[in-house]
Amino acid sequence: VVFLWSSDSEEQGGPGEQKASPVRPSFGKKQLPSIPKNAVPITKPSSPASAAQATNGTHASYGPFYLEYSLLAEFTLVIKQKLPGIYVQPSYRSALMWFGVIFIRHGLYQDGVFKFTVYIPDNYPDGECPRVVFDIPVFHPLVDPVSGELDVRRVFTKWRRNHNHIWQVLMYARTVFYKINTMEPLNPEAAVLYDKDIQLFKSKVVDSVKLCNSHLFDQPKIDDPYAISFSPWNPAVHEEAKEKMFTHKRRPEDLPKGLQVSGLSWVKPGSTQPFSKEEYPLQT
Amino acid sequence: MASVLVNGTRRGQTVVLKGVDPETCMIVFKNHWAQVVKILEKHDPLRSGLGTGGPGLGIGGHGGPRLGAVPSDEASAVQNYVEHMLFLLIEEESGQNGAMGPILEFVVMENVMERLFVWSLRREFTDDMKLDQLKMYEMLIAQARQPLLHHKPILRPLMMLLSSCSGSAGTVVRHSSVETELVLLLNQLCCVLSKDPSVLELFFHTSEDQGAANFLIFSLLIPFIHREGAVGQQARDALLLIMALSAENHVVAKHISENTYFCPVSAAWFCLVLCRPAMLSRQSWEKGWQQVPALIQFLNSLEFCNAVAHPSIRDQLVGYICNGFLVPVLAPALHKLTVEEVMTTTAYLDLFLRSVTEPALLHTFLSFILLHRYDNVHILDTLVSRINTPFQLGTVSLGLFHTLISLYCEDVMLQLILKYLIPCNHMMRSQRQVLKERDCYSVSATKILTLTPSCCSPEIVPPPLRQLDSILWSKGTNGPHSGTMETKQSLSEEDDCGHTCVIGSEIYLDVSYLHYLYDARNGISSCMRACQVWSAPYDGENPPPDEASKRPQDLSRVNPQTLNDLNNANVLELEWDDSYDACPAQAQLEEEQVIPAVILEEPPKHIQELRRTAIMIVKGSYIEESDFQNDVMVYNLVAQKDAQDSAKVKFNHANTQPAVETPGKPLSNPSTQNSESGSPNKKPQMCNGLSISKISTDKENHSKEKDGFQVMARCPEGDDLVTQYEDLIQTLVVEAASPTKSDKDLRSPVVAKEEEEDEVDFSLFSAETPEAEKTPLPFGNKPRIGSRNHTIPFTGPFVSVLLSRLENMLDNSLHVNLLLTGILAQLAAYPQPLLRSFLLNTNMVFQPSVRSLYQVLASLKNQIEQLAATRKDFPELLTAAQQCLLARESSLRGQDLSAAGRTRKNPPVQPKIVVPPNRTEVYATVIFTEFLKELAAIAQEHSILSHHTMEE
Repeated sequence: VVFLWSSDSEEQGGPGEQKASPVRPSFGKKQLPSIPKNAVPITKPSSPASAAQATNGTHASYGPFYLEYSLLAEFTLVIKQKLPGIYVQPSYRSALMWFGVIFIRHGLYQDGVFKFTVYIPDNYPDGECPRVVFDIPVFHPLVDPVSGELDVRRVFTKWRRNHNHIWQVLMYARTVFYKINTMEPLNPEAAVLYDKDIQLFKSKVVDSVKLCNSHLFDQPKIDDPYAISFSPWNPAVHEEAKEKMFTHKRRPEDLPKGLQVSGLSWVKPGSTQPFSKEEYPLQT
Repeated sequence: MASVLVNGTRRGQTVVLKGVDPETCMIVFKNHWAQVVKILEKHDPLRSGLGTGGPGLGIGGHGGPRLGAVPSDEASAVQNYVEHMLFLLIEEESGQNGAMGPILEFVVMENVMERLFVWSLRREFTDDMKLDQLKMYEMLIAQARQPLLHHKPILRPLMMLLSSCSGSAGTVVRHSSVETELVLLLNQLCCVLSKDPSVLELFFHTSEDQGAANFLIFSLLIPFIHREGAVGQQARDALLLIMALSAENHVVAKHISENTYFCPVSAAWFCLVLCRPAMLSRQSWEKGWQQVPALIQFLNSLEFCNAVAHPSIRDQLVGYICNGFLVPVLAPALHKLTVEEVMTTTAYLDLFLRSVTEPALLHTFLSFILLHRYDNVHILDTLVSRINTPFQLGTVSLGLFHTLISLYCEDVMLQLILKYLIPCNHMMRSQRQVLKERDCYSVSATKILTLTPSCCSPEIVPPPLRQLDSILWSKGTNGPHSGTMETKQSLSEEDDCGHTCVIGSEIYLDVSYLHYLYDARNGISSCMRACQVWSAPYDGENPPPDEASKRPQDLSRVNPQTLNDLNNANVLELEWDDSYDACPAQAQLEEEQVIPAVILEEPPKHIQELRRTAIMIVKGSYIEESDFQNDVMVYNLVAQKDAQDSAKVKFNHANTQPAVETPGKPLSNPSTQNSESGSPNKKPQMCNGLSISKISTDKENHSKEKDGFQVMARCPEGDDLVTQYEDLIQTLVVEAASPTKSDKDLRSPVVAKEEEEDEVDFSLFSAETPEAEKTPLPFGNKPRIGSRNHTIPFTGPFVSVLLSRLENMLDNSLHVNLLLTGILAQLAAYPQPLLRSFLLNTNMVFQPSVRSLYQVLASLKNQIEQLAATRKDFPELLTAAQQCLLARESSLRGQDLSAAGRTRKNPPVQPKIVVPPNRTEVYATVIFTEFLKELAAIAQEHSILSHHTMEE
């Protein structure tokens, strides 16, 4: 099975492009969809994003924009981090919900492909830390065996703006599969087994990985155009994308440049003098 | 005559000729020709034995009287035969494999065309004759079914005809119909040439036979390219074809640049346009250039420059434009005596920049603006200083700068702003590492938007203007948008576990903000794309801030030797010229009032303040705009004293009521001009291009004062003079309060200048000895600039002047405010961290003397709040103004739509009350509120765009 994934969204170029940059935040399409004309305007906002700033009129009007852009900024940070084996994508309907998948490449959970969803509190960045919930509860001391929620709060006891970022949460979600911690587990069984009977633990993990992978091609748990879905290798769909992925090599600057560039510069690199580049010497 | 015949016979014979076999045609043609030849030979001077030489001589010599005797019946017989023959030739199809048809072959063999031309020469070669010949060829070239120009016997007489048209230009009075026909023919020839460049070679060869390597077509066209109407258009089209040809054909290019006057003529044309009195009418740019035919021609000329593709022509043309137009014509024109002329020239320059696309040409124009000096002042400085002028000149100057910064040109941005920001002196040292930081939580946007005046708060504004009803903010996964049952079912499980986010909460938002975000995104993206060609990222590290202040600057351009008294006078005058604009000084005062702690000032403080600035003038150390403004104040005081001495308060009047001046009339006072002429101070008076006699008529006194300054400026340790100066100020203090403030300060009470440092460390300004190397900084070659660059925070005159005008927003006309905010928004869209952080990062800590955009905006908010509190009619007017602007917007949009062939859906909202344009503060308040949104949107988009793309 080739774990090539693609999302339902049509504006995504394909898996290749997404590897390079999982999601291009698409302005205006995804967020803030317009409502039908017959909707009744509400003069007072019903639920301002942040209670602390609710009194301020401008904040009530623009608060959602701040939230949206804060999350988009977080998302660009995630892209910048290039976390190995982790891909996320905000949902179509809300920037507060991100779909993700994590590939485990070695260790006890090797070959595991775990889909998860990140839930971000709506008073971000002033609220609790975001939550990470696996689609299928993975057998792991820190993953709730019923809900699939990862215990994130133990690391981010208090979410601090400017210090904590969502990529750190994702990073943490990856680390737990390589470095097992059994303190105060959400899954006591897993914790006990890991400490007392590592062999049984290992076999349970293998079973869990198998289970997860067997559901890989299931419909996404949440119906959303941007939900991450997997499909078996289909040359008609994937060949071209794969091609792109290998040839493109995420080097957009290698593309023929200059034709569409509209800027001007006659400054010699290293100089701060205008017209230091003698491209068109002045005639006298 | 020919035209009648041509038109008449053509229609009749087309039908007749159908199906006639080629042989019959040939026979008819030969018969006709035989008849023609008979008549031709009868009048041939050679054959009739009277020949004294070639046919050429015959014309002017003995042939003269005799030729006049050609009977008219014979002439018209020839005419008739020729008509028919031409028609047969035109209709003939070419033979197999492109061979000549029999008639054409006959024409070539018998040299028919040349003989006909000689015949027409032999008779009196009148305009009518020329016209006939031209029409003949025009018809042949336009309609013939086989290529004719490849054959020398046809091309040669054509060239002879053409050269006769050029040669006789001086002597024969040109008939307009001849010209029309000539240009039409030339245009057709060019079409043929561009389709079949092989003919081009023949043209050159034929010309050589004529004795001159002359590309006749080109030379003939040049005189017509600036004509109005269809003739000019045809000529220009033809030339453009040749230009395109020259890109590929080296011979043509070489010829154009070496043997023709195209380049000088084009350059000269610019001069001509600029000097034409009709062009100088204000209406020309007020009406919009589209409606002024002369301007359209002007732009047509530019089109040539853009079309010039071959480097050799381009270089030559660029050279001519630079040395034949920009330097000797445009530069002085930018410094003419009347505001009118200066304004027009500025508008032209703007138009030029907007029309030129060829990089080499742009290079020429931009280096002219950035580096050229007129009277030792950089053109750029002059232009920047004019932004601050009241009247329309300021507006036109703003327009020019809007164009300049929209070019995404590194050199322009470097010279205008970036070079002042590179040393990072404007910010606290600790802030340097913050430079590149991203504003993750839209903090700056929030801060900017909270400056929204309460009277404009989105909740207060009534719905039609608010446009809130079409936005939905869906927080959860389950907005009404998605709405499918499956979704809800699939979620139900999670709902139980409490894993979904808040669902379906709706907030209605300002739609217009979405548009701002959208525009911001587009603006920043295209700017980032454009800036990829720049040499450095300007991120506080590259170029390195510390080196920037130490690096020896370009010595060649600035020669310290040129620093003489006159220059200094120029420099000072340049700045002082802003003094007639009382507004910024006042705005400055208002800005200080952001912390409205001290309402009534204590005189000592004021004196102290004046002293400080006075000393700074004396020591030649300006720092920031604020000081700049205070210099103006001090200067005003001095001037006022003079004025009182001479019992004239003219300056006072002009200074406090700038708006009263009619922009149309020259600002210079002729009488003072005259009285001044010959005095060495005349030049400095004009160096800003405007010899506004704002000061007082007592020039003698005044100039003495100035000389005094210069003396002091050259000896920084001149304590005596400083003391004297302080004394002077002391004597003026009593008078000081009234003129500079009382008139204008209706909105804001008198304010003390509350600055952090009451005592300024003067050694800071004067300690350094002037260095040998000087940066060509804002005001040319002031000796103090080096020191400012090193230690004193300064964000450059452009930023200063922009912020100063922005501060004065409530008094600005709507147009000025739109331009101002447009410029600032464009600047804010630049991705360079230095610029972005300076304009948009509200958390940045700047040096106390540096004014930030945010500070200015905050002071504006305060002004508006005060206004709203004191004026009862304000809210009502505000709503009306919003409607006016909305109507304006939609009518503009409607124009765009109708131009695009679409109909507009919503008719514009008709405002109930029309707010009079002179209630500038009302319009300004609306613009201000929108500007905040625009800036906030740009800040938000930067937080997710800049880093992303730049790092990739």
